[in-house]
Amino acid sequence: MIIAERKPLEEIKNMLSGYKEILVVGCRTCVTICWAGGEKEVGILSSQLKLASSREGNELSILEATVERQCEKEMVIEELRDKVQEVEAILSMGCGVGVQTIAEIFEEKPVFPALNTTFIGMPEAEGVWVEKCGACGDCMLYWTGGICPVVRCAKGLLNGPCGGTRRGGKCEVDPEKDCAWVLIYRRLEKQGRLDLMERYYEPKNYRAVKRPGRIEAATA
Amino acid sequence: MQVKIGVFLCDCGESLKNIDFSRIREDLQRLEDIAFVDISHNLCLEEGEKAMTSRILVENINRVVIGACSPDLCEHIFTRLLEGLRLNPHLLSLANIREQCSWAHEGDVTGKALELIRMAISKARLLQPIEREVVPVSKQVLVVGGGFCGMRSALELSRLGIRTTIVESELTLGGKMEQFEGSYGIETSPQAILNLMSNTIEEDENIEVLTSAEITSVEGQAGNFPVKIRRGGEQVSQSFGAIIFATGHTTKTLPRDFEPELGRNAISQRKLVEMLQAPEELERRPGTIGFVLDVSDENSRLPILSTLNNALAVKERLGSEVYVFCKSLKVDSEGMEKLYREAREQGVVFLKFEEKPQISKEDGRLKVEARDLLLGEEVALLCDFLVAEEKVLPCEGTEALGSMLNMRTDSQGFYQDENVHLYPVASERKGMFFVGGCKGDLDFARTSMDISSATVSIYELLSSGKVIVEVEKVKVEPDKCQACLTCIRICPHSAIQLVRVDTEKEVAKIYDLACDGCGICAAICPAKAIRFEGYADEQILAEIEAIGESL
Amino acid sequence: MNRDDSKIVAFCCEHSAYQAANKAGRMRLHYPDNVRIIRVPCAGRVDVQHILKAFEKGAAGVLVMGCQEGACQHLTGNTRARERVKYTDSLLKEVGIDGSRVRMVNLGPDMGQQFVAEVKEMAEKIEGEMRR
Repeated sequence: MIIAERKPLEEIKNMLSGYKEILVVGCRTCVTICWAGGEKEVGILSSQLKLASSREGNELSILEATVERQCEKEMVIEELRDKVQEVEAILSMGCGVGVQTIAEIFEEKPVFPALNTTFIGMPEAEGVWVEKCGACGDCMLYWTGGICPVVRCAKGLLNGPCGGTRRGGKCEVDPEKDCAWVLIYRRLEKQGRLDLMERYYEPKNYRAVKRPGRIEAATA
Repeated sequence: MQVKIGVFLCDCGESLKNIDFSRIREDLQRLEDIAFVDISHNLCLEEGEKAMTSRILVENINRVVIGACSPDLCEHIFTRLLEGLRLNPHLLSLANIREQCSWAHEGDVTGKALELIRMAISKARLLQPIEREVVPVSKQVLVVGGGFCGMRSALELSRLGIRTTIVESELTLGGKMEQFEGSYGIETSPQAILNLMSNTIEEDENIEVLTSAEITSVEGQAGNFPVKIRRGGEQVSQSFGAIIFATGHTTKTLPRDFEPELGRNAISQRKLVEMLQAPEELERRPGTIGFVLDVSDENSRLPILSTLNNALAVKERLGSEVYVFCKSLKVDSEGMEKLYREAREQGVVFLKFEEKPQISKEDGRLKVEARDLLLGEEVALLCDFLVAEEKVLPCEGTEALGSMLNMRTDSQGFYQDENVHLYPVASERKGMFFVGGCKGDLDFARTSMDISSATVSIYELLSSGKVIVEVEKVKVEPDKCQACLTCIRICPHSAIQLVRVDTEKEVAKIYDLACDGCGICAAICPAKAIRFEGYADEQILAEIEAIGESL
Repeated sequence: MNRDDSKIVAFCCEHSAYQAANKAGRMRLHYPDNVRIIRVPCAGRVDVQHILKAFEKGAAGVLVMGCQEGACQHLTGNTRARERVKYTDSLLKEVGIDGSRVRMVNLGPDMGQQFVAEVKEMAEKIEGEMRR
């Protein structure tokens, strides 16, 4: 799922300067699960903004709302239609898609992002999320035993390893991270498919997905 | 329905002199939803209860707020009273105006007392009733492990009228009992005790024994644990109300200190016991036997117990010189101090070292060198036999079983107590208990107490065949749940599971019987989908907002 | 709450700190009367939002008081509370509320004197900062 992180408060405050009536909107899906923009985080950010503004002597008026999925137009409209009338600006705690969806629907209101959308990933341990997929549009996981070198190798090598792997199978670029190609090797070894390591993988076709991406289903 | 609150204040026999109760009553009566404010001298006594009862019967209130002493002293009195009056006992909110107000501060505390009561009132407005339900439970108990602890547990439960099934992985019952020489001062040998227990168990209709069997899965909650048992290639399923784990320990002779090249003179406790049981088979009587303790593990009591018992047995049966090298020799279990003194009286010499002794071969015997702290000198001892220190470990399979059950183990792999200060036998999961070696406890006195403790808890839980449960005190709101699995992963009591609801959506569900009401899940849920009645977010917030609120 | 009242909200775990506060009362150990105790079943029930709301509503200081390390009946409640307090402290710093106005305390149920000491320390810190 999409993993995101909240921006520093200072940056958010700067975005909001000049605005007095704000709507803070969370999302119940990806950003709830990665503890970045759910109903709880909406409450926390609103508390912080209120505390900050009252200390600085300018009272902010804050409305809170949370949409089931900010990337669904109908859900956004249903949840926010009324509240939006009462505010000057909207602070979205959704991923980049959510921010843009809200902005598209309520075009006259400025919509600001409270989060930085960082990657597509999954929970590795409690409170820890790691990147797994780069949405390159040309999945090669067949060849690499289910481990993606495009995002998990710091250099994005397709025919790794680079030769700089450190002791313990750690990455040359970031010694805290595992070398993806060591992981790939070990995985293929377990499956008895090491012959795949000998295949030469051609440079990736990054035009596999023409940006901005668009997919139309063949049937209704 | 409109909230109508009845307020009872107690001045504790007119002793809370720094609170002006009539002023408080005056202030509170101005609130719209307060039906009345009664002041009593002793709400906890019969007269006070009578007054409360008649008031509640007459007035049509649906919430009760009480300002009195600490809830842990009086709450049960009031909940019982409310139950008797058919008012949901949960619609009660208490303010501690005695220990945490009148007694805690100098001077007039009327202002603070008023605030505390107003906090309780704000919370009371938002309280929802919690229903109670009777849930049938299985009266059968599973005992995992047929050693001393397992057998003893089954026998005690049988005496309490509860049926058990013992699942033992080996061919016979007994566990490690045969490896013990005995407890000095106890006449009956472990073998004899084992025979007696096995026979009693065989004749006991309440106890079923499955040997060469193992547990493959455990599901469910206290009162109803469906367990799969594999035996002889077949798998059976049975439901149990509670489980006692008595899977025991194992010992390992430490390789580092006693390499094979030290030869036949370096022996294990077990080998010594064999020698002691058949002294006539020895080529010659050993002149000196040494023991080494506390080198790798100062905390396990079993090596000390074995050493003291075996040292005394050596004195009695072989008459050899006995020396014990030790660092701390902890004798804090029942009977150990006495055993130690007896050993010294019989001539066992104890040498206290700080640094690890050096062991080497010399002239076909073993030499132990250490600096004795009391003498302040280096000591060198030649022994015919040196008994190796043993490390006590949880038995094989403990970690796997622990994972299966979602149970914590400590740094050495033993199962951990739920709360080390209060509940020695309970585990973090209701209905599951640990006794004996698998917990690292290896002295019989302590273990016997633990077993009694566990069996009594189980009796309380299961004997009536049913359990009263608070329904959905902590509840997951299926519509808001995003199935992120956070609550399921972090619940310390394994009380939450993923279930499928009618719309085919998977959501978390909290099982009332297993829930221990900590609220960690409610705090951590990123979707705010968990409501903990009595400590819900809006209820806590209401208490906060009532502080300093002007009337 | 008025910020001038300098109220201290103390979330107290019913197994430890709440009992310690009772003990202080029974021993007639006096402490400042601007403390308001909110009873919780476990320190782990206290969330970041609760603490922030307390400040938002005017509290001058917040204490989160739970069981000692290793003694939490719910295993991780006290450690989680400590982490949340640390995180909340950083959120407060972001807002300009510096100086550890929120603090995690670990107590046993019989530690009446320590309860009083912690409350007094927070009260003094607040008083000191208000004078400035």
